[in-house]
Amino acid sequence: MSTGTPPLTNPPKPQTRALNCPQCGAAIVLRSLGHAETVVCSSCHSILDAKDPNLQVLQKFQVATSEVPPLIPLGTRGKLRGTDYEVIGFQRRSIKVEGVRYDWHEYVLFNPYKGTRYLTEYCGHWNDITVCKELPSVGFAQATYLGETYKHFQTADANTNYVLGEFPWQVRVDEHATATDYVSPPRMLSSEKTANEVTWSLGEYTYGTDIWKAFQLPGTPPEPVGVYENQPSPVSDNVKGIWAAFLGFAFLLLIAMAAFDLTSSKGTVFDHSYVFQSGEPKGEASFVTDIFDLAGRTANVEITTSANVDNAWIYLNYALINQDTGQAWDFGREVSYYYGRDSDGSWSEGSQKDSVIVPSVPAGHYYLRIEPEGDSKHPPIGYSVEVKRGVPVFGFFGIAFLALLIPAIVITWRYISFERARWSESDHPPVKIGNSED
Amino acid sequence: MTQPVSNCPNCGAKIVFQWSSSVQTVCQYCKSILVRTDVDLEKVGKVADLPPDSSPIQLNTEGIYRNKAFVVIGRILYEYDQGGWNEWHIVMNDGKSAWLSDAQNEYAISFATTTTGLPTAAQVQVGQQYTWNNQRYTVSVITPAHYRGVEGELPFPYWDKTQVTFADLRSETGKFATLDFSDEQPALYLGEFVEFDDLKLKNLRSFEGW
Amino acid sequence: MFKKLYLAYGVLVLGGTGVAQYNGWSLDRVNQLKNVPKSVRDNPGSYRSVYGFYHHYTGGK
Repeated sequence: MSTGTPPLTNPPKPQTRALNCPQCGAAIVLRSLGHAETVVCSSCHSILDAKDPNLQVLQKFQVATSEVPPLIPLGTRGKLRGTDYEVIGFQRRSIKVEGVRYDWHEYVLFNPYKGTRYLTEYCGHWNDITVCKELPSVGFAQATYLGETYKHFQTADANTNYVLGEFPWQVRVDEHATATDYVSPPRMLSSEKTANEVTWSLGEYTYGTDIWKAFQLPGTPPEPVGVYENQPSPVSDNVKGIWAAFLGFAFLLLIAMAAFDLTSSKGTVFDHSYVFQSGEPKGEASFVTDIFDLAGRTANVEITTSANVDNAWIYLNYALINQDTGQAWDFGREVSYYYGRDSDGSWSEGSQKDSVIVPSVPAGHYYLRIEPEGDSKHPPIGYSVEVKRGVPVFGFFGIAFLALLIPAIVITWRYISFERARWSESDHPPVKIGNSED
Repeated sequence: MTQPVSNCPNCGAKIVFQWSSSVQTVCQYCKSILVRTDVDLEKVGKVADLPPDSSPIQLNTEGIYRNKAFVVIGRILYEYDQGGWNEWHIVMNDGKSAWLSDAQNEYAISFATTTTGLPTAAQVQVGQQYTWNNQRYTVSVITPAHYRGVEGELPFPYWDKTQVTFADLRSETGKFATLDFSDEQPALYLGEFVEFDDLKLKNLRSFEGW
Repeated sequence: MFKKLYLAYGVLVLGGTGVAQYNGWSLDRVNQLKNVPKSVRDNPGSYRSVYGFYHHYTGGK
């Protein structure tokens, strides 16, 4: 290439030119290397034609003293998605919904190679936005872009209230556009419609802490308030997965329960009937049973007391005693059954049968020491005692089922609450549940 | 491969053509617009200085498109009622000529295509649909524009069009087409949007402070 | 993230249930005593019960 030809001459390089505002003489800085259409004089709040070497005044606007300066100062550089951008412009815009004004802020970012990008901020929620090259297709209450479907969130009339710095379009204060947002968290598709054109842009939710890191800003970002339209849910698509896991676990639980039920011996090792006569001449009410054998590995023992109590009760102090080791399990069981009729119908309370499961009883020779008690005035009560070796404890499976169910319910409830909070700000708010005052 | 070498008929400077099929070029020294005839170069005009603009691409910028290397050899700067854009003339390493457009840092590459049955400027309308190469395109915008300046080598012999009309067509897949009505015969360019990073551009213009 | 936690938790719950069932645990409250003398078989009245959960008839209509 370099065969004696002179170096190529380029058009003059535009630099960050320092110019003066024709209205008030203040210095005007242009950072966007010829990209800006308009630039604002921050001293006298005139909007100037950035393409005109004389910076013709296009509009002058009033500024309220309550106007807040941009959180990211103009001229700050930050790294987003691996590229350095410089903040060149800022505006405050607002919509009015049911008489209430909602403000948000937009920042214009510039890189000479990659072009322009935008950041929006609303109540501490940030979005990283680029203009769409392709046109999304709009359906009923939704839009599709690059294979993703976005749900309609809100359509409102957006007004520009305050501007600073440079803009790649003809910005004016008090200019209106119809802004429509479609969401597919964490992304958002927005259209801005003026009389002459429609512009579509794609936003991605960004956390304030990441913005502060990218631009190395001092202090902390403003705390986000509420849930923003495209804010990603902390629980989101885990919900379906969790219920799938729950079903899987519940199924396994069922299988385990059936397996334990089938493999437990449940063999009756002792069964005897007795008659209890209270108020007998004072003698020793307690007695011991014959010795029976509990076989196999350490397992539980179920002792069932069946008594034909008829509007009566019987109480049995039990002790399951190992004949050889002297180890004993001591417990008392009441069997009572009452019934009758009253103004509401028939009722009953209690049962004629009682079961207790004694845990972890090793194999060995055992007997029961039984001491019955009852109402002294009552006629004799017949009862039987049955001892079974190795039964499944269904209560554990019930507890396990609840233990699996409750977190799934809690997580689902949190997800639902989050989504309700998100959509409560939209054009499609959720129906109020119960009589909560939101 | 030997590159054609001539001398500028106006000032005598050496002119090297980087692309064998270039029809015109601009002499760097004296800014004369030179058109190639069969025999030698003919001066047909003089180009004014290009206005300051901020495309990061410049002549001799190199890049890669679809695994083929290319180099920038020419440019047309267009202007329309809302601003301007650059069409950089590039040549691929297989000798094919193409266009890399830069409109506010949105980049696209397109190739001239020969097709029959193209509409005329009077016939084309926004919303119409055409199918080329099994791809459906819809007319999205019609832009009247004019040349603001030229630089380097171009594949056609004009440099000073005061009125050109373009029709932009988009597909649903990031592809686009341009109908160029600068000539008697409409010309069709088919292409697609590209990301700056994917082009792996080298020898870009430097910006003070960046 | 929640899904992974839930899966781990579920495995623990299932495992715990299996362990409980295999070891023969139960949900009922039962007191244990040691060294019950063999003489209780001849004299059941001499057995000393643990009165911690002594429970009598409490109610009914």
